[in-house]
Amino acid sequence: MTGTAKVLPVSGSPRTWWRRRGYSALGTVYGAFVLLFYLVFFLLPFGTAIWLSFHNWDFLTNPKYVGTRNFVKAVSDNYFWQALKVTATFSVFEIAIGVSLALLLALMLNQMKGKWQNLFLSLYYVPVVTPGVVSIYLWRWLYRPTGGAFNTFLASLHLPEQQFLNSPTQALWCIIAFVVWANVGGAAVILLAGMNDVPEHLYEAAKLDGAGFWRQFFKITMPLIRPVLAYQLVVSVIGTVQMFDVFFLMSGPGFSTRTLALYTYQLGFQSLNLGYGAAVSIIIFLLLLIATVVQLQRYQVTWEY
Amino acid sequence: MAAVNRSGVVLKPRQSRLRRLIVSGRWVDLVIGLLLAIFSVAMFYPFAWLIFSSFKTGEDIVRVPVTLLPQKWTLAAYRMVLDPNRANLPQAYLNSILVSTGTVLAVLFTSSLGGFAFARLNFPLKRYLFYFILSTTMVPFLTLLIPLYIVVKYLHLLNSLWGLIVPSFFSSFGIFLTRQFVYGIPSEMYDAAKIDGSTDFMIYRSIILPLTKPVLSALAIFNFLGSFNAFLWPLVVLNDENKMTLPLILRRMADRFGGTDYEGVMAGSVLVSVPPLIVFLIFQRNFVRGIALTGMKG
Repeated sequence: MTGTAKVLPVSGSPRTWWRRRGYSALGTVYGAFVLLFYLVFFLLPFGTAIWLSFHNWDFLTNPKYVGTRNFVKAVSDNYFWQALKVTATFSVFEIAIGVSLALLLALMLNQMKGKWQNLFLSLYYVPVVTPGVVSIYLWRWLYRPTGGAFNTFLASLHLPEQQFLNSPTQALWCIIAFVVWANVGGAAVILLAGMNDVPEHLYEAAKLDGAGFWRQFFKITMPLIRPVLAYQLVVSVIGTVQMFDVFFLMSGPGFSTRTLALYTYQLGFQSLNLGYGAAVSIIIFLLLLIATVVQLQRYQVTWEY
Repeated sequence: MAAVNRSGVVLKPRQSRLRRLIVSGRWVDLVIGLLLAIFSVAMFYPFAWLIFSSFKTGEDIVRVPVTLLPQKWTLAAYRMVLDPNRANLPQAYLNSILVSTGTVLAVLFTSSLGGFAFARLNFPLKRYLFYFILSTTMVPFLTLLIPLYIVVKYLHLLNSLWGLIVPSFFSSFGIFLTRQFVYGIPSEMYDAAKIDGSTDFMIYRSIILPLTKPVLSALAIFNFLGSFNAFLWPLVVLNDENKMTLPLILRRMADRFGGTDYEGVMAGSVLVSVPPLIVFLIFQRNFVRGIALTGMKG
C-alpha cells in the first residue's frame, strides 16, 4: 500500500511498525474500551447538555432551536437568582462553619495519643458513612416544631420553641447545621492527615525558640497544611453546590431552600423544560469552574499529575 | 528548703498532685480530651433518638413531651418494615448489594488495569486519553444529569439495576489514583518480568494487582459507600418499586408511614444503615489511612 508508505517513512508491514512503537495489545484493548466508555457516558451527554441549552425540548415534541434565549431567560428569571442566592449562602456558611470546626477538631485531635485519636475520629466519621437519606429523615423528625427532640430540649432549658424547617427564615440555617454535622468528620480526618505530615522537628525547634501554641499554629501548622486546606475548600465548594438530596427531602417553605441543583432537577424532570434545565446546569458548571480556578490560583496549589 | 540525701543529690520538694498536673502540661490534654468527648456526645445525640425511637410503639413516638427512651420496648416497628406486604425492604437490600458489589468490582478492575496501562504500557493516543479522562472530573455530575438520563434511556437501561452500574463502570479518580501508585512500583520489576517472557496480563495479575492492594482497598471502601448511599441517580433511573435500592425504598416508606407510623421509618433507617456501618467498622483502620492516601494525592 503506497498510502501507508507515505505516512510511515520507515518501510515495513504495519505489524513491525506496531512492534517498533512498542504498543501493548493489552493497553490498546483497554484504551479502546476507555475511549468508548467516556465517549458514550461523558462526551455524548456533555455535548448534549451544551446542545440542549440552545434548544427547547419537553421530551415529547421535536426540539426547537432558540439560540441563547435560555441563557437570557436565566438572567431575567427571579427563580434563578433566588436559587443562586440560596446556593451561595448555603455554600459559604456551610464551608465557613464546617471547615473552621473541622480545623478546631483536627487541632485538638492532633494533641491526642494514637488510640484516643483513632476512637474520636471514628466516632466523628459515623455520620459521614451513614446514608444521607437516613440522616435527613432523622433530622426532619428531630426538627419537628411540636414534639421534636430539639424543641423538647429547648423547652427543658426554658428557651422559646422554634419553627425550624417550617419557617422560611430558619429553614436554610437548619439545613446548614445538619450538613455541618453530617460532613465535619470527613473534613477533620483530611485536615488531621495534613497535620500529621508536618515534621515534628519544626515544632521542637520552635519550642526551643520560645514560640507559644498560637505562634506555632500560625507560623508552622497553618502554612504547612495550606495545600490540604485548599484541597478541602475546593472539594467542599464543588460538593455543596451540587448537593441535592438534603434540599429535595428536607425543603423549607416556598423557595426558601431551593438551590440551583434542585432547580435543575425540577426543570428537567418535573416541569420537563429540558433546554432551560440544561442551560442552568451549564451555568453551574461555569460558576464551579471559575470558583475552582480562582481558589487554586489564590492558594497557589500545583497539582502534580 | 530543698533536702539533700546521703549521696548529695538535691531532692525537689514534694509537689501536690494538682501542681504536678499543671506543671507537666497534662491538664491541657485532659481538657482537650473532655472537650472532644462532649463533642462526641453531641454528634451521637441524633443517633440515640434514631435507635431508641425504632423500639417505640406508634403512640409512644408521637407523645408530647417526647422522651428519648421508649415507654415500652417493642420490635413491632421492625416486624412492620420486614413485612413484605407493607414494605419491600428485603428486595431493596438485595438490589443495593447487587449494585454496590457490581460497581465496586467493575471499578477495581478498570482502575487497576487502567493505572497499569497508563503508567507502564504503551498504546495509541495514551497521553491524550489520560488528559481527556482527567478533564472529565472538572464537569459536575449535575451538568450531565439530564443528558445522561437520555443516553441511558436510549440504551434501554432505565428502570434496571444495570442503569446504575454501567455508567459508573470506569472511575476517573480511580484510574488517576492507581496510576500514581503504579509509578511508585519500580519499573525494573516490569522489565524483568517482560524479559522472562511474561505477557502484560500476567504481569498485571502477579505484580500489579498484589502491590496496589492498599490503594485498591481504599477505592473499594469509598466506592461501596458511594454507590450504596447514592440517591439522585437511582431516583432518576428507577421507577419500579421492585428495582429500588435502599435509600429510595426508605423515601417510599417515609411517604407511606411518615404520617402515623414514624417508628417504621426509624426501624427502616436503622436497617438501611447497617451495611455501611459494618463496612466502616471492618475497615476502620484502613479508613483513615485510605483518606490520607486518596485525599492527599487528589
